[in-house]
Amino acid sequence: MTTPVSEAATAVAAPGLAVSAPPARGRLRQSLSLYLPAGLLLAIIAACFLSPLVATVSPPTGGSVLNAGLPAGTPGFPLGTDANGNDIFSRLLYGGRVSLEVGAATQLIGIALGGLIGMIAGYSRGLLAAVLMRVLDVFIAFPSLVLALAIAEGLGPGELHVIWALSFYSVPAFARLARSATLRLRDQNFMLAAALSGTPRWRIVLFHLAPNLLPQLMTFALLGAGVAIIQEGALSFLSLGVPPPGASWGNMIAAGMQTMSVRPSLVLFPCLALLITVAALNLLGDALRARWSAR
Amino acid sequence: MTVYRLAARRLLTAIPVVWGVTFLGFTVLNLLPGDAAQALLGADATPSEVAALSKQLHLDQPFFARYGNWLASALSGHLGNSLGSGQPVTTILAQRLPVTFELLLYAFIISLLIAIPVATLAARRPGGVFDSITTFIALVGLSIAPYILALLLILFFAVDLSLFPALGWTPVSGGLGANLRSLTLPALSLGFPIGCFYTRLLRADVLEQLDEDYVVTAHAKGLPGWRVLLRHATPNSMFGLITVVALNVGTLLGGTVIVEQIFGLPGIGEELFQAIQTRDFPVLEGIVVVFAVLVVVIGLLADLLYAVLDPRIRYDNPGQ
Repeated sequence: MTTPVSEAATAVAAPGLAVSAPPARGRLRQSLSLYLPAGLLLAIIAACFLSPLVATVSPPTGGSVLNAGLPAGTPGFPLGTDANGNDIFSRLLYGGRVSLEVGAATQLIGIALGGLIGMIAGYSRGLLAAVLMRVLDVFIAFPSLVLALAIAEGLGPGELHVIWALSFYSVPAFARLARSATLRLRDQNFMLAAALSGTPRWRIVLFHLAPNLLPQLMTFALLGAGVAIIQEGALSFLSLGVPPPGASWGNMIAAGMQTMSVRPSLVLFPCLALLITVAALNLLGDALRARWSAR
Repeated sequence: MTVYRLAARRLLTAIPVVWGVTFLGFTVLNLLPGDAAQALLGADATPSEVAALSKQLHLDQPFFARYGNWLASALSGHLGNSLGSGQPVTTILAQRLPVTFELLLYAFIISLLIAIPVATLAARRPGGVFDSITTFIALVGLSIAPYILALLLILFFAVDLSLFPALGWTPVSGGLGANLRSLTLPALSLGFPIGCFYTRLLRADVLEQLDEDYVVTAHAKGLPGWRVLLRHATPNSMFGLITVVALNVGTLLGGTVIVEQIFGLPGIGEELFQAIQTRDFPVLEGIVVVFAVLVVVIGLLADLLYAVLDPRIRYDNPGQ
């Protein structure tokens, strides 16, 4: 049993310890928590985008019905084939491209557009800013499925339109983040110094404010990419995203669900691919955030 | 500033948001290609039949006239009739909403049952074994999409073990036990990932509170460590959670659509999906409004709860 006093000492001292010079073991753990998910993510990206260029992978579509439902380990089909005779491994790789592209594109649009709106809203604090933020509130309160439906139906389902639909959610999220960070920074000395030395406001925002926000926005983008990938999967699952025969983890899950009790692997593989990718993004984002906040 | 004035102020900013959502919804649905009258009558209908139905449904009027009509009747509590079944949209919503509310409440309780004990125990020894393991589980857990968890749960609990029904919903009239059993897997699919998310937030907040002077005072008074944690630090850490719960309502509502679809629950999400398939615009618009009102009202309640729990906020400028 520890005494209340030593309890108090550990409870109070521990958070302080974590901030001041971590011991060697803690430092190792910190770098591992950064490099392991980063390596995993790079491996996933390389597998999806590069491996079809280097190794021979069967095409993800146009399989023969004669090859339908082959088990894993069949020569030429490492994870077997689906009900249409397409190679599951190849579909996982090409579906992964869709997921990663949607994740990256929505976050880049979010950083650029949302970051700009948030900085303007936070820096000017005028009527324009108030109106901008209310408009973004409307988008946040609007159910994403209805918007995605309208875009999918109006422009045809497809990856690009999924990106547009999901950007309506990444832009307000980044705008809020950039606005609150701007409100914290706008009265700091370096900002006042820039304004006093006669720097134009647009220059202050783009060259003094933006570089200071970027690390925070980019860390948030890793977490946001995970959310976007999950949502792309949901849209494709509900047949509002990438249409078959094109490969997407979401539509693979939806197709596999019909035979789930007989061949659970058709559902399990894309589910695991999605889970591992999103977990890698979250672990990396978290480790980066810990690193930034420790400074 | 009193709580009432704060409430009035927040309400005034909430009204334009709800109005904006209705207008955006109307615009977006209006942009959809295809003629609702044609869709209702089928491909065999003659142009004159289509024109007659369009006139009957007021689809031939200009956009702003239709929006004005809709807004006027919405303000008097009537959201129009379903194009498919002809039922009033409010009746449909009243049938569907209780299922979704029960599911959301159940999922919310599950997420708190995960988050509060795990976060408190983890914060007791930061960097300890329990903390390291739960931190990792929570990070992976919040990466699980509700629909993926739903499918995995069906595979293990419904198909392999037959512990819970995989499909369907038992109303409360069929027994509370059966009702809860039919909602357990859906609620778990929604509640577990969000519970993991809350765990991480709450753990960080508890750790921050443990650094505060009042905690040192409590320890100095000789209170046992667990008491300081449970009665002092954890309750004071709930503020961040309240904000995030409010911000999460929209995401959670979006999650119900797909989870209700997978489990065959007759909730608002399933209705939304059906209305999307059949282009039932009045129903879609009604659901858009309900979702928006829910998101806005819960955000408002969170702000007020904040002000009630922490008097300092009432005196500060609430605009920040």
